[in-house]
Amino acid sequence: MAPVRTLVAWCPDWPVVALGRELHESVAVIFANRVIAASPAARQHGVARGLRRRVAQSRCADLDVIERDEAREARSFEPVLAALDDITPRVEVTRPGTCAIAMRGPSRYFGGDEAVADLVRQRMGEALAGRTEIRVGIADGPFAAGLAARAARPTRIIEEGTSPGFLAPMSISVLERPELTDVLVRLGLRSLGSFADLPPADVLARFGDEGRGAHRLASGLEERPPDARLAPPDWSISTEIDPPADRIDRVAFCARTLADDLHQRLEHDGISCVRIAIEAETEYGETLLRLWRHEGALSAAAIADRVRWQLDGWLNGSAATRPSGGIARVTLVPDEIVPAKGRQLGFWGGETEVDERAARVAARLQGQLGADAVMVPERRGGRHPDEQLVLVPAATVELRGRSADERAVDGEVPPWPGQLPAPSPSRVPAKPHAVELTDAAGEMVTVTGRGLASAPPVALVIRGRTVPISGWAGPWPVDERWWDTDDHRRRARFQILTEDGQARLVTLEHGQWWVTALWD
Amino acid sequence: MFDTREMAAAERVTNLRLVADKVAPLALARERTMPLLPALTSLFPEGGLRRGSIVATDGVGATSLALAVAAGPSAAGSWTAVVGDPGLGLAAAAESGLVLERMLVIDPNAGQGSDKGAAGVVAALVGAIDVVLVGPGVRIRPADVRRLSARMRERGSVLIRVGAIDEPGVDIGLRIVESEWTGLGVGHGLLRARRVRIETQGRGSAARPRGAAFLLPGPHGEPVALGEPAPEHELRPVLQALA
Repeated sequence: MAPVRTLVAWCPDWPVVALGRELHESVAVIFANRVIAASPAARQHGVARGLRRRVAQSRCADLDVIERDEAREARSFEPVLAALDDITPRVEVTRPGTCAIAMRGPSRYFGGDEAVADLVRQRMGEALAGRTEIRVGIADGPFAAGLAARAARPTRIIEEGTSPGFLAPMSISVLERPELTDVLVRLGLRSLGSFADLPPADVLARFGDEGRGAHRLASGLEERPPDARLAPPDWSISTEIDPPADRIDRVAFCARTLADDLHQRLEHDGISCVRIAIEAETEYGETLLRLWRHEGALSAAAIADRVRWQLDGWLNGSAATRPSGGIARVTLVPDEIVPAKGRQLGFWGGETEVDERAARVAARLQGQLGADAVMVPERRGGRHPDEQLVLVPAATVELRGRSADERAVDGEVPPWPGQLPAPSPSRVPAKPHAVELTDAAGEMVTVTGRGLASAPPVALVIRGRTVPISGWAGPWPVDERWWDTDDHRRRARFQILTEDGQARLVTLEHGQWWVTALWD
Repeated sequence: MFDTREMAAAERVTNLRLVADKVAPLALARERTMPLLPALTSLFPEGGLRRGSIVATDGVGATSLALAVAAGPSAAGSWTAVVGDPGLGLAAAAESGLVLERMLVIDPNAGQGSDKGAAGVVAALVGAIDVVLVGPGVRIRPADVRRLSARMRERGSVLIRVGAIDEPGVDIGLRIVESEWTGLGVGHGLLRARRVRIETQGRGSAARPRGAAFLLPGPHGEPVALGEPAPEHELRPVLQALA
């Protein structure tokens, strides 16, 4: 059975465009410290997907690095989708920037694939107003159509039944399964065609379920054989919102509960959902339906996010498309379901259930307290305790299977001569407080340009209280970034032990003594 | 006549029971504990950190002690959340054995719209995060502590409070009663290790006071139990040449 004839429309560089940036600016969008999209101008300098932030910046000096905002990407894509509404009511959002339409109906109605492709390009072009181009590919099945869209200048139509031939010369890497393709390349299979030539049974025996899916795609078939799809009983689930909600957070709250319910029901029956239809209806009967696809399975949080994105774009859209009343009903329909393979969570190392729970609670607290309230430590280089490790917002990193060590270059951590050895201080106040360090005559101790103390320190004056010193060592001078007039820092450090048993790191900078760390 | 068959059956049942007793998993208090660093086991009655308990530390070195207690579960795979303590020395945390990859640092006062405060944040973390470390500046009302500790016993998380040893609800209080640094001279040397004496106070099985001597932090930042006085060469400052 041939796969469903599909049209895929793709707006290149959508993460950049959605942020309101022009394509001729050098912009890179990053997530978890890796570039996920770059503007054409940045790509010319060699900024590519997957690079680390530092590497990307080193390739393009005036690069603007922006954190990814998935919600904004989805929200700003909604008006573009709305332009397609009178071509077909069922538009699938593969990801923000890419959408798919089943072609059977529209193709007949508008008189052929070419006519639909032109219409789609024209409608989306009006909605985009020249912010980026649109590429349209039509082929058998969403996978081939997606690749056709990538190869399109600006439209590429693969005639019915010729998709396997179109796919055959393509590089195996388009499958986007790095672990699998890595093995295949080492086996000498570099194109989709050569992989498709293998007998399916052998592929299944050697590479399991994932390999079979990839093999089917490479052969121009649907990823899953049609009979593996369960006949869906009525899985749809809906909730009435009374009184109708015109604020997005109220709708999102209801959607969250609904998504949790749906997820539990599916989980109970051993099913996961790869495509979901979200339908919202206002009190005056206007409806908005969108299909959302996800490569993995859609989790409850992911469903709730999509409801929010879709309705945000609708409720806060332009006056022409905005509904006239509040949202009165939200319906979730699992449109395409597969048997849940169940991710086996690792016992030791890798992704564990503990990590999963921690990531979930971190996300919840970010929602309640703000994104900057939940931080995670990350190692950087530095001589001072507050430079060696810094806190970064948990939202900007991938919590599961993370490495806190960003310093390692090829597995080696560069040394920082002049660092104080272990044990490190257990308190590093964000704002160091000013103190005085005095010698036997009651004069302030100073440090000469050659790094010598003017006199042995005898007492530490903290908030007007004088504490005698029982042990001290130093000064250890640090002269950092002397090549940079703005960041140049000259400091001298002392370890001071006072008679009350407290050990402190006391630093002299610009003629003022500071307690910069404590061993509590 | 004896009914030998029935007797044999009865004997088999008895034997089976004996075997069952022997092979039954030891699901006692130990089952409900999290591992501690080996150095610290002598301070806790179960030899581990009992799930659902509140631990408090006090004295000069309370922070290092709290980190040392949290390090055991963290090294064994648990997550740690630090609530309301932005000034915690992260390098010291890593040296005492905490795994930074499984650590969250949360500022409970960040949300403008939230009135839940630290207690609300801790309540949200309990169950998802095994060890919650609360900083010295954080106040939790006694009513909230009661609610929290019920929730913690149910979900099996441990709360470690720095410097709140005399507040109600604390199951085990660890107090540093003596502390003395080694390695730092007058004008020479380097902080090397701190010799401390820790005494416990508590409720239930922890009511019997215990005390022991430790190096906290030890020469590499990790806690070291001192059965007897440490050999002198262990404590010699590394940078004597500086003098």
